[in-house]
Amino acid sequence: MRRSTKILSLLALAGMLAITACAQMKALPNLPASHPEQLSHGPVSCTECHEDQQSGSMKPYAAFNHTQNFVKNHRFYAATDDVLCASCHKVSFCADCHSNKTDMKPSVKNGNRPDRMMPHRGDFLTLHKIEGKLDPASCYSCHGRANNQQCVACH
Amino acid sequence: MKKVLCRLFPALLLAALPAASFAAEISVDSTTILRFQEDRTGFESKTLVPATQFLGLDIYKLGDGNLSAHLFGWGRVDLADRHETVDNSDGRLDGSLTYGYLQYRFNNANARARAGRFFVTEGIINEQVDGVSARTDLPYGFGVSAFGGATVHTVDLPGLGTDGKGDGIFGGRVNYRSKGMLEIGLSGVYESEAPTIVGGSNLPGSFGDHRMLGADLWFSPHHMVQVTGRTNYNTETSSVAEHRYLLQVTPRKDLVLTASFDEQHDRDYFYSSILFARMLKNLSQDSRAIGGSATYTVAKNAELSADYKHYNRDVGSADRFGGELRGTLLDNSVRSGFGYHYLRANPEFAITGASTSGSYHEVRGYVMRDTKSYFAAGDLIAYIFNEPVFNKDSAWEAIGSVGYHLSPALALSGDLSYGQNPQYDDELRGLVRLTYNMNMTTGKGGTK
Repeated sequence: MRRSTKILSLLALAGMLAITACAQMKALPNLPASHPEQLSHGPVSCTECHEDQQSGSMKPYAAFNHTQNFVKNHRFYAATDDVLCASCHKVSFCADCHSNKTDMKPSVKNGNRPDRMMPHRGDFLTLHKIEGKLDPASCYSCHGRANNQQCVACH
Repeated sequence: MKKVLCRLFPALLLAALPAASFAAEISVDSTTILRFQEDRTGFESKTLVPATQFLGLDIYKLGDGNLSAHLFGWGRVDLADRHETVDNSDGRLDGSLTYGYLQYRFNNANARARAGRFFVTEGIINEQVDGVSARTDLPYGFGVSAFGGATVHTVDLPGLGTDGKGDGIFGGRVNYRSKGMLEIGLSGVYESEAPTIVGGSNLPGSFGDHRMLGADLWFSPHHMVQVTGRTNYNTETSSVAEHRYLLQVTPRKDLVLTASFDEQHDRDYFYSSILFARMLKNLSQDSRAIGGSATYTVAKNAELSADYKHYNRDVGSADRFGGELRGTLLDNSVRSGFGYHYLRANPEFAITGASTSGSYHEVRGYVMRDTKSYFAAGDLIAYIFNEPVFNKDSAWEAIGSVGYHLSPALALSGDLSYGQNPQYDDELRGLVRLTYNMNMTTGKGGTK
């Protein structure tokens, strides 16, 4: 078989696959852009209303119940299911803590919300001299490449 | 190129703003904070009165209805003495655009495209980028995402004239989901060559390009069991940088048990951070932490948790254990919590020159009330050291906050905090906060 024939055959196959995939993708549903019902204030429990499996993430609703354990480990869910997070949270909600450069500790900005889990409450200036030696990776995940002024000023 | 991108994307956003007048849904989140505090970190005491404005803007249903614009940033002006800066910039003014992008959300497959400044959190990727990104679900459980653009640079490190980042970055993730049981993902990030450090002879083999590959996992072989985690591989050092895994067991609806395993190899994990390369003297160390927790929902409005973690580094080991009780009353309008933790650490973790012990107790309690008219909160946190730190037995801080809802969207509040710690015999701070959260949405739910 001539080289050009092979290339044309491959292109035709790729085209058919692309058309088939596009046709099938139209059958894939979107997660809602926002939660269809007003949610109560404070941490929510998805299984209060939902019993089955979340169709967009293909995971059980129970996996997203906002227990203390979920909040402490939300990094795993945010890294794979941020489309689902966006159904209830604006990106600015995440930016309360996750922004490469900020002007004050999140717990100061949100001093009227002690119920929200936020890092570096109290005198962390003293504590970081212990915690930084103990678990520097925990500092790195937020401050590693951000070169925050508070870090750079001394280090 | 970088400058062009930096100017192009905000210009695109500004160009989109007139269309906002035709948009069906607009959301504004504004927080204005005026702080009063004394800065005694330098040779001279300073009175700082910074006014900071945080502004978030989300405009939905632009164009054909699938286009939206999102922006969040802050700016600060010092009304009294100036902040110190490390880059000799004018400390009186500062600010940052955290994100600002246009997003097109397709009608199927959770597909979306973004252009502007945004965060990418996909698998092992956690980057702030000026560029473009796209993601979509694919048939048969597959999914794909990709991004590329310019790195968002930060402040240069003093004396180095660089922040240690390359100028361009791209990456992506492919994943496969099997309904209700499995998700596996492969992701990677590639940043262009890191700048050469002038006089960086003390950083051989400890600092270099930011290029990582990784795998992430969510596995639930039984509805009571799930495993999540990821492993990062540094292609520049040709070594595994990190393992981070969490096993979660839910034997009853009201009980969640977890076990965690975290391991980092310092040189491979911190390799692309010039800050860490300079700061940590021994990058050949490993960090390992093994932990467990139990969270029990005592009642619909009360949750009790206990946790334990064992840290192991080459220089020593430590244990942290404790518990926390959180509760709500009156339809969530009253929220309170109390927690206690103890860190038992080897003397190697003590603050050099200040104490002989790295161990301390942490106690925290808070209560808050939020009604349609007023809201108030009290928060007390104390660290009690096993051995004095700079001759102080403890560091504590109490914060009181009161506020009033001037309207459903507008609230005025004030915080006052007082504390004592090894740095200061007394530390008094205050702030006034004006928040405006407006949603002109047609939907019943919305986002928060």
